[in-house]
Amino acid sequence: MTRCIPLSTGKPWFWSFAAAFGAWGLLVLFLNGRGAEEAITAALAFAAFFVIVGLGQMMVITLGPGNIDLSIPAVITLSGCVAMRVMNGQDAAILPGVLAALACGVAVGGFNNLLIHLLRMPPIIATLSSSFLVQSAAISYGRGLQVQPPQALQDFATSRLYGIPINAIFAVLLAATVGVMLTRTVYGRSVLAVGQNARAAWLAGVHVGLVRCVTYVLCALFASVCGVLLAGFSGGASLDMGQEYLLASIAVVVIGGSSVAGGRANVPGIWGASLFLFLLVSMLNTLGLGAGIRLTLTGLIIIAVITLAGGETSQR
Amino acid sequence: MKLKTIAAPIVAALLAATPALADTSGKRIALSNNYAGNTWRQAMLKSWETVTKVAVAQGKVREVSAFTTAENQVTEQAAQIQNLILQGYDAIVLDAASPTALNGSIKAACDAGIVVVSFDGIVTEPCAYRVQVDYKELGARQVEYLATRLPKGGNLLEIRGIAGSSIDDDLHTGIMRGVEKHPQFKIVASVYGDWTQTVAQKAVAGVLPSLPAIDAVVTQGGDGTGAAEAFRVAGRPTPIIILGNRYDELAWWKKQRETNGYTTFSGTIAPGISTLAFWVAQQVLDGKQLPKDVTVPYLTVAQEDIDTVLARTPVGGVANVEYTQADAEKILRDLADAK
Repeated sequence: MTRCIPLSTGKPWFWSFAAAFGAWGLLVLFLNGRGAEEAITAALAFAAFFVIVGLGQMMVITLGPGNIDLSIPAVITLSGCVAMRVMNGQDAAILPGVLAALACGVAVGGFNNLLIHLLRMPPIIATLSSSFLVQSAAISYGRGLQVQPPQALQDFATSRLYGIPINAIFAVLLAATVGVMLTRTVYGRSVLAVGQNARAAWLAGVHVGLVRCVTYVLCALFASVCGVLLAGFSGGASLDMGQEYLLASIAVVVIGGSSVAGGRANVPGIWGASLFLFLLVSMLNTLGLGAGIRLTLTGLIIIAVITLAGGETSQR
Repeated sequence: MKLKTIAAPIVAALLAATPALADTSGKRIALSNNYAGNTWRQAMLKSWETVTKVAVAQGKVREVSAFTTAENQVTEQAAQIQNLILQGYDAIVLDAASPTALNGSIKAACDAGIVVVSFDGIVTEPCAYRVQVDYKELGARQVEYLATRLPKGGNLLEIRGIAGSSIDDDLHTGIMRGVEKHPQFKIVASVYGDWTQTVAQKAVAGVLPSLPAIDAVVTQGGDGTGAAEAFRVAGRPTPIIILGNRYDELAWWKKQRETNGYTTFSGTIAPGISTLAFWVAQQVLDGKQLPKDVTVPYLTVAQEDIDTVLARTPVGGVANVEYTQADAEKILRDLADAK
């Protein structure tokens, strides 16, 4: 059993950090040393959002073949809009706003599970269709609203502690919690067991349905946390704020060395992959290449990193 | 010449007095829209609804419907247009997912005797009408404005839209033309912001560490406050950021103006252009001969107008103008006169 969990023993996460470091190195080389620290600070601040949604997606994917959550962008948008609407720019209303957003996340996660469990829909279809419902709800509720966040929330989301962006600290703590949960708790071990073989897990007495339900709810909950933080960080919620997080959430899981087939999660890899994705785009932007070359290089470099990381695991 | 200027209002009055009631009152017009997930599109759909509802109530046309595809896919919109043909609409007004990929469906619609009017996301099929603003001019105008503010020139950061779209190409071409004309300006970096605040903020924050002092940011709209946030978080002075008429951008501008007298320029295509496209379709159904390309001015917001524009722009919306039938007729007439 422990042999199958590479959290402590394996090193598939190594490549994502190596890639992030490489991208940063090239960036610094290009900068002639100027702004190297700024680049890291920016990378930490923006990678944090990828990490928060990536952790949720990772747990869902770990549940085994076919499990994926496509409703993440819609949940980010809806919870961002709900939070901004409820807060309405008032510092006093921050807590109710956050709670309302988190409630949205829990509701969507529960709804996803309902579609998957009761209606026996494949997760990819279930979460895709619920994302349409959620996005439509956000559109009719928000109508393109970009309500300014309360000053206190905006200050908090963009603040720094000892020079480190506060949202990055939050994402590190969240990642550590998820890491401990996956290795040390019954629930976490059950997620891995279900992902490795759902039937065997069931025969061993794991409550597969409950584990799956909790995981989808957690994933949507993380997405709603991301929505609130992002709205605070970028000066308001908008209807397209979640858009780029669909592919990014899946990419950081795969680049980070978690198994797409499920059963093997990799928490540090999520951080490495998130930093890598941000630094890679920044580096190519800084080099000032044309759009076509940038996108092509992004694709090629990601393929290279995954091949390296995958080659490592297949030798086991 | 003089006679013409005197005669024009009289002709206009005559035209207005004999409305197109008899000719188009039985017609049905459909809107085919490929995307609804941002501020601008929401405002566009709202304008369409407001103006066409009145048009139907006044008996100018019989029925107006709006259809939006879910996934922003060309294939989906092509299928939608095929359906609209089968449903027997007399005119299709569309915001297209692609300038070329829908041409087959549009040709089929024209062959079925349907009037096709594209706007914003226009199509190249010759049988369709195109209602649009001159994005190249808008791009050049940004640099023109900066030349008046910074006669000595300086470093520019360019935020582009979505790679590969015709709007992004046109605005970029216009900006490059402006920079050629005013060589004292230098574009030191260019990033893609997808017309989205969060994406623009991330892209700008990523390149900022590598950049020298930035004097101004040229943009495509929907990315202004994202850029401002990136500069603020990085602890850099706020450059002159060109804005794109969004409510949050104007609200940010107003706040800056009150605290430090911030001055800039804001301009983009008004979402109400959908209503002009509607009237173009109605006029064509009415039997009017119109040019296939209808270019309208983009909407700008000047420093002294912020308060009035903000007051009449819905929270989270875009500064807008909606066209009445009379407005549309005047624009089309001016266009004909200019030719």
